[in-house]
Amino acid sequence: MDWNQLWQILSAPDNVPIIAMIPLLAFYIYLGGKQALANDKLITELEANPALAKTHHRKTWPFRPGWQKEVHVWPFLLRVEFLAAIIVTIILMVWSITLNAPLEEPANPNLTMNPAKAPWYFLGLQEMLVYFDPWIAGVVMPTLIIIGLMVIPYIDTNPLGSGYYTWKQRRFAISTFLFGFVILWVSMIFIGTFIRGPGWQWFWPGQTWDHNRLIYEVNRDLPDIFGISSNLWKGIFGAAVVGAYFLIGGLIVNGLFRRSNPKDYKRMSLLQYSIMMTFFLIMVALPIKILIRHLFHIKYVWITPWFNI
Amino acid sequence: MPEKPIPENDPIVTKSLAPHYVICMVILMATLFWALWDEDFGQRPWKAFQHEWKSRYSAFLKTARTQSAESQKEIENSPDYQKLKQDYEDASKSAEPRINELREKLREVGAKILAVQDGPGHFTDRRAYVTAATYDIETTSSASSKQSMQRDLDAYKAKPSTVEMPDGKVQTFKDFAALEDAYNELKNERTQMSAELGELLKPVTEKKELMDSYLADHMVSLTPSQLLNLQNSVESLTPAIRQINVNEHAANLEREDSAQIVDRCESCHLGIREPVKLTAAAMSLPGEKPDEFARAFTSHPDRDLLRIHDPEKFGCSPCHQGNGRATTSVEKAHGTYEHWLWPIFRPGNYEAGCQICHSADMVVVNNDVGWVVSEGKDLFRQRGCMGCHRYEGYDKEPEDLLSIAQEIKLLEQQKKDNLKQADDFMAQADKAATNEEANHLNDRAVALKVENSKLDLRIMQLDRTTKSLLQDMKKVGPNLKDVRLKLNKNWIPVWLKKPTDFRPTTKMPNFRLNDEQIRAIAAFVWQSGLTDPLPKHKPGNAAHGKELFEMRGCLACHSIGESDQMQGGTFAANLTRVGEKANYDYLVRWVHNARERTRPYCPYEKKDIGPEDYKKKGLPYVFDLDHSKCPNDGHELQVQNMTVMPSLRLSETDAEDIASYLITLKKKNPSDYPDASFMDDPKLKEEGKKWVKFYGCFGCHEISGLEDEGRIGTELTTEGSKPVERLDFALLTEVAQRGGKEPITDPEDLARLPEGPAKEPWYDHKGFFEHKLAEPNIWDQGKIFSDETEKLRMPNLHLTKEQIRALTTFLVGSQEFPLSPSYQYRPLDYRKDIQEGWWVVKKYNCMGCHQLIPGQRTILMGLARYQDAQEQLPPKLLTEGARVDPQWLLRFLKNPALNDQDTNRNGIRSYLQVRMPTFSFSENELGKLVRFFQALSRQPFPYIPEEVPVLTAKETEMARSLFSSTAAPCLKCHATGDPAHDRTATAPNFLQARGRLKPDWMEQWMLDPQAISPGTSMPSGLFKRENDHWVFSGPTPPSFQGYDKDHTKLLVDYILQLTPEEQRRVASAMGRSSAANRSGSSGSNASGSGGHGVSK
Repeated sequence: MDWNQLWQILSAPDNVPIIAMIPLLAFYIYLGGKQALANDKLITELEANPALAKTHHRKTWPFRPGWQKEVHVWPFLLRVEFLAAIIVTIILMVWSITLNAPLEEPANPNLTMNPAKAPWYFLGLQEMLVYFDPWIAGVVMPTLIIIGLMVIPYIDTNPLGSGYYTWKQRRFAISTFLFGFVILWVSMIFIGTFIRGPGWQWFWPGQTWDHNRLIYEVNRDLPDIFGISSNLWKGIFGAAVVGAYFLIGGLIVNGLFRRSNPKDYKRMSLLQYSIMMTFFLIMVALPIKILIRHLFHIKYVWITPWFNI
Repeated sequence: MPEKPIPENDPIVTKSLAPHYVICMVILMATLFWALWDEDFGQRPWKAFQHEWKSRYSAFLKTARTQSAESQKEIENSPDYQKLKQDYEDASKSAEPRINELREKLREVGAKILAVQDGPGHFTDRRAYVTAATYDIETTSSASSKQSMQRDLDAYKAKPSTVEMPDGKVQTFKDFAALEDAYNELKNERTQMSAELGELLKPVTEKKELMDSYLADHMVSLTPSQLLNLQNSVESLTPAIRQINVNEHAANLEREDSAQIVDRCESCHLGIREPVKLTAAAMSLPGEKPDEFARAFTSHPDRDLLRIHDPEKFGCSPCHQGNGRATTSVEKAHGTYEHWLWPIFRPGNYEAGCQICHSADMVVVNNDVGWVVSEGKDLFRQRGCMGCHRYEGYDKEPEDLLSIAQEIKLLEQQKKDNLKQADDFMAQADKAATNEEANHLNDRAVALKVENSKLDLRIMQLDRTTKSLLQDMKKVGPNLKDVRLKLNKNWIPVWLKKPTDFRPTTKMPNFRLNDEQIRAIAAFVWQSGLTDPLPKHKPGNAAHGKELFEMRGCLACHSIGESDQMQGGTFAANLTRVGEKANYDYLVRWVHNARERTRPYCPYEKKDIGPEDYKKKGLPYVFDLDHSKCPNDGHELQVQNMTVMPSLRLSETDAEDIASYLITLKKKNPSDYPDASFMDDPKLKEEGKKWVKFYGCFGCHEISGLEDEGRIGTELTTEGSKPVERLDFALLTEVAQRGGKEPITDPEDLARLPEGPAKEPWYDHKGFFEHKLAEPNIWDQGKIFSDETEKLRMPNLHLTKEQIRALTTFLVGSQEFPLSPSYQYRPLDYRKDIQEGWWVVKKYNCMGCHQLIPGQRTILMGLARYQDAQEQLPPKLLTEGARVDPQWLLRFLKNPALNDQDTNRNGIRSYLQVRMPTFSFSENELGKLVRFFQALSRQPFPYIPEEVPVLTAKETEMARSLFSSTAAPCLKCHATGDPAHDRTATAPNFLQARGRLKPDWMEQWMLDPQAISPGTSMPSGLFKRENDHWVFSGPTPPSFQGYDKDHTKLLVDYILQLTPEEQRRVASAMGRSSAANRSGSSGSNASGSGGHGVSK
């Protein structure tokens, strides 16, 4: 166990936001989950007891004579927000005083750094480059991510759960988000920061980042495993596999979704449903690609002269 | 929430956030103050330095002042100073009344001017109004408003002004013009009076200045008043960044080569340029060890360097490196962090900074010895580093030769083509339809032939250059084509195993060869050697040989004896065991003339030329510098051994004697070496060639068939600016980055590390070079190899700590030039000659015998033989350029015997036993050397000798009397050509002065020889200054009455016209008088009136 190496990575000024992000993320997921569970409990209670529901207006707090039915934004919300703003200001000031910008040597085009890492918030994207060709990982996927995020309000037909935390009422939305954000995005940033060393090789935490390290790894394309040599057939084969994924995956997801969220399914139009399905399948494709890469050393599935997937 | 009781009142509405706010605001304010502090001090640590500087430096100055006040008092009491003071006081007293009067008047006028000038409605006020109004009128477009405004202005100007004068009177000026006149009048008056005051004060201030400068000149340190000024400036110091900003091409920022030096080093290093010498101890707090501040405040240790390299032009970082712009921490400013590519040079390698600009200099400092970087540069050549590593400026000849050979080939091809084309044209001309056309074609053919004659001339020129280059080209190691003639066959494998075992100080490095490699290499070298017969020599007299060896100066380069018994120089081989390896007949040839080759080598055909080639052309088999053309193709041959070893012009018998002596030097018998007949196995030859090529043996040795091989190592010209990532620390990268365990374990190699075993991280250039030089295969550690060829090839050069430090300094400073090219030291004037000359001087180890730098110790000076015979040492060359005529020097360097027949002697100093050898310099190097000596003495070049006036009979008579004066009998020490006399002579013959010495120098020499050549036996004080002339100190005959010219000049002219007859006459006349003396005491007769004896 190379503690020195570990400490060097953890203490690098570049990595401070990520170090901070991990406990913060865990804490806020815990906090949100805790409140959601409390609300869910209340919701069950209120659903079973309509009389109580009448007297409860501020969700978790039961009714009290003399309590206002609703409170004003000013001052009751804004004073808390302002307090938060002050605390954030303090944190930022202390941070900026104690840690200088991690500037490096003058750029030398003849000698690039190794590993060359993007800013921490882009490390997820950079990690994606391992699994897809630059056109897919660098252009198509980020665009899809942004469009996918923009699309959410338009395909979210669930009227419940706005303004309070709940798990029961928004199970699909929350688990999809947690999967996309925590499992995919944050963990890829984590991998990019802590796991990827010189040569973008995989180093387990505590392993020495040795510039001379050599590893033996042969990645093949899926068509090659099946002995397909002609480019045309490779394209057709890849398209068939990807198509099959969307077809079979779509059927499976469709089955699951209809069973677990029948209300949502009914509320959604065909357009909304198919958009949701497309983005969902693409999102799930990413970890699948990561897994087949790491487990089966498969580089690309679908090879065409224009893009590789 | 059921678990908690529900509060009575609505918490959101009733709960107060005041405490939260209070705490947060307090923290926020605290961070605000922290930010302000950080802004002002945290990010500006230099402020603390300046603060500390203020208190420590003023304390230092205070103590310095009391000390200097005492010495000032002493100087003030001296009569000279008192006189100056008296002058000053007189002058100021006489001028005083008028000065006071003028000052009074000036004050009055000043007050008047103020009165007229200031206040509402007075001059300044009204003038402002008038000029503003005039501007309005000028810029108004409408004519009518112009007129009306002009009217208003005129009306304003016409108004009167009343001014209350300083004496209380009220004066009225009738309009603006009157006011202006009065004002100008007053100002004129003041100017006149000021000028008069200045005139009056001038003599007084001049006297005062004289007085002050006398004081300043005679004070050892600064005067109290200067110190007081310093102290005042220190006390009024306000914290500020002190920055040197050099921007040579400010107008053209886009130029890449613009020198943009921004150095803020002096923000902390405040004492660097202070006029007083500050040491760390002086700047420490009383009773404490020097701390961080004290070390930072010292002044620059070498003020001379700083004077030459004015910081205002050079800054700090070009020499020292580091990040001159950074001010936020010591680490950042010194650039000793990961992301700065040019960390500050460490104490052991400070001089690396010199190399950055002075890469073209072999000797960086002309008048000082002991410069580490110069030593590194010298070592790089001496140890043959450039045999494997290209380095700009080193060993250029092979490359130049190659390109010239290419050019010659091209030119010859072109010649052939031209001839062919000319023939074509002629043939076409014959068939031409018209006369005109035929003529035209003919002309073109002729033009081509003319072109060919030009090409011929060019080829001749190139051949000449080739000759020079071939002569200049030297190899560090011996010629291996001669192994069969020279060596004891059985010794070779033993030597290859580990050369230092046989000869600890050898230049040959240890190659870590295994037994197979040794067998193969030995076989290849043996089988590729020449087998020509050597002339047989009879055994000589070894005892005489030993004497000659010690006498003739061999020890200036070679050494004898091992470890603490060692005597002599390290420039060439240690000969303690030479008898075990060498062949007697070869040694005789070598000692007689080391440059003599067995066979000439033709670089054009790339083969050794033998008698058969000469025979084919019917030419005699003779090759030397005068017969250096190849019989086959007419190009230049390599006719010399590529060694720097010169010829000592010994007779054949002397050479035999020396060789006989050398052959006795051994620890065991040559026959005791184990048999190595495997070397004749032809099967091993190919294998051996492979290894010879692999290890690059041809970098230092001449080897048959491998004459044109390139260098095997990496180029080192800019190695110091290679990114550290490009230096392959191999498996030791982590070790070097983190420090800790020292990877070198071999105790011998460990002892080579200049800083000892690494304790701190050494992942930088210094660490890399030092470790690599200490143990060149260190980066192989821990690696697994399938083949010997994968291993690092660099051999162990068995360097000492100091040598590694010197080489590291040189390499660390070998950088790509970061500044504008004008910063590079590439002078075009006489300094260029000096620069080039040092390369030659160092190449041939001139400094082994001659002193060229004051304070430089030659090898011979250190030998026991010369401790009591200083006059037997070779002459010092401190002022050689001023001493001799360059034409003569050229002749002398070509042939130091100055004689074509009798060469077994010294041309000038026949009394010296040590011999000035013949180096067979090329035209090129001769020119460089002659120019070097002229330039070193700042002599104009070319030199045009001044005409020596012909002396009248009377003058000759007078001069003769000086020349033969018993007070200074010149011919007693100077040689005369009479063998009996010359045995005891310790100075050159006067007859050689003409055409050799420069008259100016001769005069200077007679006046003060000690200043020119410290320790010389030439007496001083022969002449004294009388009535502005140099007059002989001893008794002069009456004929000198009324002679009012310099006696020195007279004597010089006489010597320059001296004829052998005249000299003989004088000598015989003197001989009679001194014969009596000589029989008495030999010490007393030389003492002249000056009392200067001639030391023997």
